[in-house]
Amino acid sequence: MQINLQEIVPDYIDKNINESQVWNKNIVIKKTEHVHIVAPSGTGKTSLIHFIYGLRKDYTGSVSYDDINTKKLSTESFSSFRKNKLSIIFQDLRLFENQTARENLEIKRMLDPYHPPEMINEMAKRLGIENKLEQAAKTCSYGEQQRIAIIRSLMQPFDFLLLDEPYSHLDEVNRKKATTLIYEECEKRNAAMIFADLKPIDLLKGEKILML
Amino acid sequence: MNKPGFPPSGVRGLPLSYKKIQPLIISGKNFSKWLGYFGLGIGVLLLLVSMQMFINIQQLLTKDNPRKTGYDFISISKTITNENMGKDNTFTNADLDNLKKLPQVQGIAPLVPNQFRVRATAGDLIPFSTDLFLESINNNFIDTVPPSFTWQPGQTVVPIIFSSDFLEIYNVFAPAQDLPQLSPKTISSVNIVLECSGSNGSQTFKGNIVALSDRINSLLVPETFMKWGNLHFSGDTTVHASRIYIKTKDANDPQLISYLDQQNYHLNKDKIKFSRIKNILQNIVSTLGVFGILVIVLALMLFSFYLQLMIARSKDNLRLLLTLGYSPQWLANSVAKTWLPVYLFIIIAALIITEILHILFLQLSFVSAANLSPVLNWSVWLLAIVLFVLTLFINLKLVKNELSKIE
Repeated sequence: MQINLQEIVPDYIDKNINESQVWNKNIVIKKTEHVHIVAPSGTGKTSLIHFIYGLRKDYTGSVSYDDINTKKLSTESFSSFRKNKLSIIFQDLRLFENQTARENLEIKRMLDPYHPPEMINEMAKRLGIENKLEQAAKTCSYGEQQRIAIIRSLMQPFDFLLLDEPYSHLDEVNRKKATTLIYEECEKRNAAMIFADLKPIDLLKGEKILML
Repeated sequence: MNKPGFPPSGVRGLPLSYKKIQPLIISGKNFSKWLGYFGLGIGVLLLLVSMQMFINIQQLLTKDNPRKTGYDFISISKTITNENMGKDNTFTNADLDNLKKLPQVQGIAPLVPNQFRVRATAGDLIPFSTDLFLESINNNFIDTVPPSFTWQPGQTVVPIIFSSDFLEIYNVFAPAQDLPQLSPKTISSVNIVLECSGSNGSQTFKGNIVALSDRINSLLVPETFMKWGNLHFSGDTTVHASRIYIKTKDANDPQLISYLDQQNYHLNKDKIKFSRIKNILQNIVSTLGVFGILVIVLALMLFSFYLQLMIARSKDNLRLLLTLGYSPQWLANSVAKTWLPVYLFIIIAALIITEILHILFLQLSFVSAANLSPVLNWSVWLLAIVLFVLTLFINLKLVKNELSKIE
């Protein structure tokens, strides 16, 4: 599978987009490719990630999975893509607040299990939240919730992993641990990574960097 | 896709369990939910019971109902008043023609009386002797016509159809007169000697009761005998009918009744009471059934409000589930399925209560239970299944509808 971005321009944008390497350009993202989208806040990183994931449609141009225009996809078809082709880490995390960390992970894992349930413990241990697993998500700190969201995105099969400022609340050590885990998991699946952040992240190597 | 040896295909093939998702659907302790269940139960019960009772009444009242053919037969005669006493109160040909013209009348037949004298004795068995009147009517108007109810000139045995009301009256007075009481079966073995006489001579016949009639209050002989007798004994062939029978689809037709009243015709109201009672009972039961449907509709509406509330409450969770890749179709089916046991319980409970009420109905004194099956009629079962499927379908539709509003 590949993702094609064709001349996407958000409806609301009012600034000059001639300089942009993404807006109104044609971009093809293939499996195994790593793309790093860099932009200051408020320039549409989250919008772009949402356009690709199909949560928003307020743009001109087209996003297509292979040659399927996502604007024409039904909710039902989207769900099958999200089940095992596309995974995402939201900037606003989007966890079930009243469920425990483990329940949050399990809800995603059982939809299309790529890992056995024990993997939840292993990953939680690697990111240092193994003692938070039985705690309701809303009682975890934002940094802990961010790590739950990262693990959740790695529970399913995927060809593309979308990351929207996934480390915003992690310290340097945890950021490193998380990056290593994400890289390992992407490699296992030969998956592509679309990584949006404020500035180029030094931890990443050999990424194609696109300025928004 | 490259996968690290896990999971074995069997595990991945497992159907997705709804158990972990269920806590995300916030149902709440909602009063309208229980009211909805209750209403649905009452509605389904009303509908099932009224259906069974409708069938019970139908079956009971057609078993010994004069209206076997779907027609009512009513007897009319001219009302005898102080003014017309002593005048000719038989129906004229014009009267008959006018009656035939009525759209409600499917046929008329005069009761032809004997114009000669008939004296009856019951032979040696019963010391009994009386003057008799005989009548004849078109066979199509008699409810019970055995094949033996025919007469040819020269035949000495005359078949008679006897009114069952007369038999009843006879049995009431017989003991006081030292006469034996008779059952409908033994009456056919009573030998009646008919002495017919007129201005042209006399002749003796053997009368034989071949059937009892619930419909016609008379002693009926075949038309051929009456014609022959009237001609032979009194030389009179004109028909002097003071009573006629009307065949109609509905004896309670208001237009027919008002016409008969206008003409000062007297009508045997008792005979139409039966069908009237049946009509009233079935109307009551049908109304009950309609009421049941109404209650079901209201309950489902209440339920849809509850569903809307529930889905509105769980909106964020449901939206997130869809975002995470849960199929809307699967979610709708799973959410709808949670009510399956409740609906099943309601339908089964309603069926059980209907069965109990049916059994109680069979215990009632006026019900001849032998005519009715103790098991509910098949159409009641069918109705229950249809209601169950329909409720599930409507429920699923409602859930799908609400879910589709989320994205």
